[in-house]
Amino acid sequence: MARMKFLCDADRCIECNGCVTACKNANEVPWGVNRRRVVTLNDGLPGEKSISVACMHCTDAPCAAVCPVDCFYTTDDGIVLHDKDLCIGCGYCFYACPFGAPQFPKTEAFGVRGKMDKCTFCAGGPGEDGTEEEFEKYGANRIAEGKLPACAEMCATKALLAGDGDMVADIYRERVMRRGGRPQTWGWSKAYGAG
Amino acid sequence: MRSRIPHILLLTAGALLLTACYESSDVTRHEPGVYKGEADPLAKKLENDGELREQLNQRFDGQRDR
Repeated sequence: MARMKFLCDADRCIECNGCVTACKNANEVPWGVNRRRVVTLNDGLPGEKSISVACMHCTDAPCAAVCPVDCFYTTDDGIVLHDKDLCIGCGYCFYACPFGAPQFPKTEAFGVRGKMDKCTFCAGGPGEDGTEEEFEKYGANRIAEGKLPACAEMCATKALLAGDGDMVADIYRERVMRRGGRPQTWGWSKAYGAG
Repeated sequence: MRSRIPHILLLTAGALLLTACYESSDVTRHEPGVYKGEADPLAKKLENDGELREQLNQRFDGQRDR
């Protein structure tokens, strides 16, 4: 059993936004919704770093803890997904998420936000795999096709790693050993705790 | 006889209006904190399909440096 995780190697990210574009393209994400964003820390200062941020598929997902309709579920592989048929668009998950991952497509009268949308690790959602309905609601299901999330596969510098946590950590450790310096795994401990 | 008709109409209207106040006793009770939506076939596929798992592992490993 794998435990799917994301890791962004800040020393390699060149802020090209290729991951953002790949995500938008693969999932046909509507206007105004960004499942993935590139954030620059200490912008313009010496030692600035960029990282690619999306839903980290946390071990103990705070979004799932606060959801009043329990629309979240975690697969055995640790991918946090949600059911748009149950979501009421209350926005609690947005306040709970430390990464700002939940997105809402609509802003209407009386604060109606619409169904929440977020990164699915390109694993679609509940219901039949590879159907048009699944694509429309949740986007691509690349995992079912034996592929990695589009963002990670498209990353030109391989800064964004996705996959089994042990394997991803192993790749990152190898890199740090080779280039020296301190490991900087942004968001890793917040999302996955010690493991 | 004439004076009874409005009474009957009033009673009928009242009875019809009150039917909307009916409350179903057949309520589904869900355990809090438990997902109750549709099942995800991908989860089962990942668990049982060795070929898919192997394919994914190859891709994971492909993220190493060239």
